[in-house]
Amino acid sequence: MATRSNAAPFLFRPLPRGGRLLKHLLLIGFGLIMLYPLFWMVSSSLKPEELIFREPGLWPSEVTLDNYGEGWTALKHTFGYYLWNSAVITGLCVAANLVACSLAAYAFARLDFPLKRLWFAIMLGSIMLPHHVTVVPQYIVFAELDWINTIWPLVVPKFLATDAFFIFLMVQFIRTLPRELDEAAAIDGAGYWRIFLRVIIPLCTPALATTGIFTFIWTWNDFFSQNLYLTNSDNLTVAVALRQFLDSSGESSWGPMFAMSIVSLGPIFGFFLAGQKYLIRGMATTGLK
Amino acid sequence: MYASMSDSVSVTPERAPVAQPPPQPPGRRRRVRQVNVHRRREARTAYVFLAPWFIGLFVITVGPILASLYLSFTDYSLLEPATLVGLDNYDKMFTEDDRFLASLKVTTIYVVVSVPLQLAFALALALALDRGLRGLPFYRSVYYLPSLLGGSVAIAILWRKIFGTEGLVNSLLGLFGIEGTGWVSDPDTALGTLIILHVWTFGAPMVIFLAGLRQIPQSYYEAAAVDGASRIRQFWSITLPLLTPIIFFNLVLEVIKSFQSFTQSFIVSGGSGGPADSTLFYTLYLYLKGFKSYEMGYAAAMAWVLLLLIAGLTGVNFIASKYWVFYGDTK
Amino acid sequence: MNPSSRKKMWTAVVVSAALMTGAGACGGDGGGEAAGGDKVRITFAYWGSDARQKLTDQVIQKFEEKNPTIDVEGDFSNWDSYYEKIATKVAANDAPDVMSIEIRGLSEYAGRGALADLSGKVPAADLDQQVLTSGQIDGKQYAIPTGVNAFSMIANPSVLEKAKQKLPDDSSWTWDQWIGLAKDISGAGGVTGAEYNPNPAWLQIFAAQRGEKMYDGTKMGVSAETLKAWWSIHQRLIETKGSPDAAKSAEIGATGPEQSLLGTNAGAMGMWWSNQLNALSKSSGQELTLLRMPKAEGASTSGMFLQPAMFYTASAKSEHPAEAAKLIDFLVNDPDAAGILLSDRGLPTNAKVLAAVKDKLPPVDQKTLAFVDQVKSELSPIVAPPKGALQMEDILKRNTEELLFGKVTPDQAAQKFLAEANAAIAG
Repeated sequence: MATRSNAAPFLFRPLPRGGRLLKHLLLIGFGLIMLYPLFWMVSSSLKPEELIFREPGLWPSEVTLDNYGEGWTALKHTFGYYLWNSAVITGLCVAANLVACSLAAYAFARLDFPLKRLWFAIMLGSIMLPHHVTVVPQYIVFAELDWINTIWPLVVPKFLATDAFFIFLMVQFIRTLPRELDEAAAIDGAGYWRIFLRVIIPLCTPALATTGIFTFIWTWNDFFSQNLYLTNSDNLTVAVALRQFLDSSGESSWGPMFAMSIVSLGPIFGFFLAGQKYLIRGMATTGLK
Repeated sequence: MYASMSDSVSVTPERAPVAQPPPQPPGRRRRVRQVNVHRRREARTAYVFLAPWFIGLFVITVGPILASLYLSFTDYSLLEPATLVGLDNYDKMFTEDDRFLASLKVTTIYVVVSVPLQLAFALALALALDRGLRGLPFYRSVYYLPSLLGGSVAIAILWRKIFGTEGLVNSLLGLFGIEGTGWVSDPDTALGTLIILHVWTFGAPMVIFLAGLRQIPQSYYEAAAVDGASRIRQFWSITLPLLTPIIFFNLVLEVIKSFQSFTQSFIVSGGSGGPADSTLFYTLYLYLKGFKSYEMGYAAAMAWVLLLLIAGLTGVNFIASKYWVFYGDTK
Repeated sequence: MNPSSRKKMWTAVVVSAALMTGAGACGGDGGGEAAGGDKVRITFAYWGSDARQKLTDQVIQKFEEKNPTIDVEGDFSNWDSYYEKIATKVAANDAPDVMSIEIRGLSEYAGRGALADLSGKVPAADLDQQVLTSGQIDGKQYAIPTGVNAFSMIANPSVLEKAKQKLPDDSSWTWDQWIGLAKDISGAGGVTGAEYNPNPAWLQIFAAQRGEKMYDGTKMGVSAETLKAWWSIHQRLIETKGSPDAAKSAEIGATGPEQSLLGTNAGAMGMWWSNQLNALSKSSGQELTLLRMPKAEGASTSGMFLQPAMFYTASAKSEHPAEAAKLIDFLVNDPDAAGILLSDRGLPTNAKVLAAVKDKLPPVDQKTLAFVDQVKSELSPIVAPPKGALQMEDILKRNTEELLFGKVTPDQAAQKFLAEANAAIAG
């Protein structure tokens, strides 16, 4: 193993200097095009509200932070309050999905049990039905449990691995791992739990990071269920709060909406930045040392 | 114990087929049969691992799904109790409802065009952003940003700023003296802009590809480099085959998700699927039926037709996968 | 399996079980029952923007001060997902006690038994009686109007002036004159004369001018001829460049007042609900004027009508109907409530309340009020449209777009519209 470091694989050998520069330029140029909408949003959030649609250009003729101040305080609570609400729900969902989905994924990927194919098919099938038709029965279930206006309808399902997407994701990642790893550990006397915790989980860091990042982002942006289950104005989350700035039947506060959209991008972008470190900590870099 | 484990583990890469394309005939997947006691213990353990999932399935997931199946055979306005009508909803869908067929067509075009494009785009960027350059963490995050914006309420406006009559695209075309149309609101081009929107939010599959690339043992490349294989050859004989489970995952999931696309059309078209039904996605039509026309029974029937359609396609995908997906756990 | 992993296995089982029961135990405050002592808790559902939410919270507080035994919980949603939320709650037998509903959804909810009859429960003597009837279905008062709006023409005089055109005499102008004026304004360069808006309210006004009803019971009352005449106004506007082309118009039509031509000072005239004058004035930064709608040649009526901005209704299944009625009474009849809400839910129709808060209204509202007073005698009565009317806007918009983008002929469009519209309201 010790010899590996000197033999830098050909594919990863640094590009020649000219090539590197070219790649940087390409990535930057392309990135600028991709991010045009974001730039427009940032620029709009800095314009006086009445100029947002009157002056369509990207460069604001007048820069002001009013939208940020106004957006932060426009609702019943300051915007930080909603950020905190979202953070609590999102944090719980991330933890829940990491635990519950990896458990289920290990069973599907590595263990044999009766009717495995059927259960797997049911799991996949559960994400094929548009949620609009299950929302009413689901609401009834949660209303029976007296969970309306609590965070439980949003969080408890995650603890019960209802996000089949992530189970399937992790199954696929676990299945890329050579079986020899499990078998070697088993020969050393490790049971299933030990194999799961000491072999599979560490080698699945990228999949776990992916799960964490996506759960974070999707929960953070999940307007539909948060709007349905959290109706008390003290329970609202960022996704719901942002939509309060807009009223297609009447008057909308576009400036504050853009400003607070930028603010609410902060946590998800930060989480992504932090998480992507683990995303690339795959078997290739850490696993087999 | 760890020392011995990692010793035996670290042998693996050397034993694995190296510069050769790893896919193996599917017939050899079967594992060696183990003794009965062991199997029963394994099954028991499996159910324990699956316990949360089973509880979730039976307490939260299955009930509403079965309820929706029942509702698909009823006339249900949401506001009044449902009444059974047999197969009426299904019958109406295929014989009377032109908009149903139109929405199916729109959705199919959307899936067939945007999924391969998005995956190719995501893979290309994942490869470009994988390693070998300074500042890649930053680039990765930047390239993920569009996906963060994709579901935002602001996207309707942002998209008009690009594809509207006075949007970015038309300003660029104007430089060449071409007069563009209002891409978002012209029925002939509106769907195209939504396809671009879908491709633009390539972040999720890109991230999964990035993670997948890191699962490929580096030693394979080392050995290949020793054998003098070129970068292109390494890509075709190592990267691509070993990435197939992840490509497969992305393909299956993107097909499922794209058939259920809702948010983009809902936000960009203002909830109508317009102009002139040109962006009326299947799920959007279903939603309009359920929550705007108060025909939830019909919506439920539509949902089950979609489920069968997606399940069929996923089944085909799984069967086909035996011929092109290579798993590390096969021997 | 070794002992330690078996222990972990059971730990996992216990933890997940505890999670289920524990979570169930923690979540017990969502119901509609008494909360904290003898207080009765009711929920009040409404849609809107941040501004409305603030006002509503204040008004709820005021109500609770006056009625210390009632605890009102606001249930807010934005407009786009309001009905799906309400429908879900009604379906799950968890309907809010007091619900805001607009006129197009009224028949749906009342007709399907979701609403309680408020006759005699909410005092309505001081409300505008003609407007009040719009909340009746089959003689039962299911809904109390919050305030009124009129669908009217809004113009920007300074833009007109710049194009060397004069404000028309709106008491007698015709659609032809309107199209001509739009053409001349566009012709002067710089701005567009008019933006059209395939709104059912416009069609309803136009049909009334031709002596037709929009709805005739549970059938469409508007004729194919009228539809074609109505569409020809759109077509002529586009041909003469009095309005933008179909694509641009569809683009503007999908957005709100802030992004409209009028709101961005890129256009001179447009049709809007009178309460949108506020948003339009704010975003254009200029003084805008309300005008009567143009008339069809030889029309004997303006066709214009006052429409409740929204209604307050009570759930038929409410456990606290008396408290629900009390809240509605407070909202429409108490000057204290109106003093907070002002014209947020339309101009109050309670004459006494209106007199009490009139001076507090901002200038734009004063202008709307003056306009409404001025046209009041010419207005047509309004009745709640039949079930399925919530879909009318989509159906009309879709068929209009198909026609204007040249996908169908006017005859086909008229037939298709009538077939779809009749199907929608027949149920």
